[in-house]
Amino acid sequence: MDETGVYESIPYRMKLSQGSTYDSFESLFRENWESVNRLLRRMVIDPAEAEDLALETFYRLYKNQHLVKDGFNTRGWLYKVATNLALQSIRSFKRRQHYEIHAGKYALEETPETQPAELFAKNEEQRLAGMALAQMDTNRAGLLVLRHSGLSYKDIAQALDLSPTSIGPLLLRAEHEFEKCYRALTHEEER
Amino acid sequence: MNKHLNNGQLRASLDGELDSDGLTHLKTCAHCQMRQAALRTQTEQVAATLSFLSSPTDTASLSKPSATASAWHRFNQQKLLQKETFMFRKLFASPLIRYGVSIVLILTLILAIPGTRALASEFLNLFRVQRVTVVPVDFTGMQQFNGAVGNDISQLISESITMTHEPGDPVQAKDVNEASQLAGFTVRAPEGITPSQINVMPGAAFTVKVDRAKAQALLNEAGRSDLVLPQEVDGADVSVNIPSSVSIAFGNCPEPSNDSEAAREMERETTTSGSPGRVYKDCVIFAQIPSPEVSAPASLDIAKLAQIGLEFTGMTADEAAQFTSTVDWTSTLIVPIPKNAASYEQIPVDGVTATLIQRPSDDAPQFALLWVKDGIIYTIGGLGTNTQKALEIANSLP
Repeated sequence: MDETGVYESIPYRMKLSQGSTYDSFESLFRENWESVNRLLRRMVIDPAEAEDLALETFYRLYKNQHLVKDGFNTRGWLYKVATNLALQSIRSFKRRQHYEIHAGKYALEETPETQPAELFAKNEEQRLAGMALAQMDTNRAGLLVLRHSGLSYKDIAQALDLSPTSIGPLLLRAEHEFEKCYRALTHEEER
Repeated sequence: MNKHLNNGQLRASLDGELDSDGLTHLKTCAHCQMRQAALRTQTEQVAATLSFLSSPTDTASLSKPSATASAWHRFNQQKLLQKETFMFRKLFASPLIRYGVSIVLILTLILAIPGTRALASEFLNLFRVQRVTVVPVDFTGMQQFNGAVGNDISQLISESITMTHEPGDPVQAKDVNEASQLAGFTVRAPEGITPSQINVMPGAAFTVKVDRAKAQALLNEAGRSDLVLPQEVDGADVSVNIPSSVSIAFGNCPEPSNDSEAAREMERETTTSGSPGRVYKDCVIFAQIPSPEVSAPASLDIAKLAQIGLEFTGMTADEAAQFTSTVDWTSTLIVPIPKNAASYEQIPVDGVTATLIQRPSDDAPQFALLWVKDGIIYTIGGLGTNTQKALEIANSLP
């Protein structure tokens, strides 16, 4: 039992269906938490915001745990939901302000103090990239994030319910749109 | 393959994702190789800009096992408990449930309710509360209360209810004697503890007439066509009479109102005035109410309705049958609590056995102590974890 004494029934309720890669929701959570949280942290920068979104991502899967059976692409599903949540977060005005203000602060906390100039430049690029993604069509931005965070075409196709052969052309379109948004933001910043 | 590769295929080739036919063609086609090189220049720029998405050097602290363990703990604490509590509150904030102390009683009417005692009329069963039983319910599973089905359920309930006696506004009493006169029963107050306010909530009465066809249609719409309402439910008149109640507040407490506490709490959460955990942290309310009376046709199988209600909230048929068979339906008030967001225990208080319910929460833990004595239902509720205060009040009663 958990130390608070009220979670007794959760492990039982979290048993997943037979045929699932994981024997319980807890093992699924433990195996995927780090990568999902890491992806979100890279996208929204603020660690607290990233963790909130990661918790929400897993809660959504918890509510849909009937999906977790043989052949279900857990990582792809989690990445897709996490990416959508992160894009929503960056888009919201309040979060955007927060994102802009804190982008530098959190990166500084994460990196050795010996490289402040490089860090600032890198962080600025990351901030603009996040904002460019948030300005894009959600599906195309999601596709870009999934690909550039390391998912294979097969995993992306499963997560987004697409044909693997369509990923190449869609990626091209998404990259063009990203470039356009990113360039516009860069020009805006320079003015 | 003799046909030149399209741009999409060339893009896939840059990621090593081109199929074998395409690769064979690319190896021998100078035109495609040239287009691939041009495309590479374009995509490399984007890849460099988005390289932070797969950078292995940042966020090293996330890979510690303790970070995952603590995340799992927070997942339980923040998500499961809060969501479940939210559904619990949402249920209680239904338009049906707007009459303060009557919340639990009306809900129990839906879920299956206080038991039966044969009665005065040979056609009616009268329900009176003599004891309290807690039933843990998994409210996270009650997604039926979201969206259109939830609205339909609320509408059906409000269409089924006719108020025969509207509750008036709460009246402040200057002391226990005045409260007793206004409420019509002898109010008990702890000795040696000065209350901050005493309020009398006038009683209310209403009748419920269920349209079985509509109710069954809603169950079907909610995906529970396996739950079949008995025919005798159709048109059955159930009348509920809720006596006046008295609440004695200690510390800084909210003013009483006709809205349910849950509805007000939800409203507070959407405003910026701060959570109740911070605003009313020292508030303890001691409430008392004579047992409401519920009368229903004797033909109504309350145990059967109870079982349907419990299954609707997520219990399996076996669990619901087992629970209903262990409850004394002659006189029991069923109090549903969120399964994973609250714990309960039985303790001796005021010469009887009381139920202490606690809801842990980082922001606003809550507790409630319930018991029934001599036909009066008593509850002591407050924020925080200091249940000693409730016990002190209960054990100071004359």
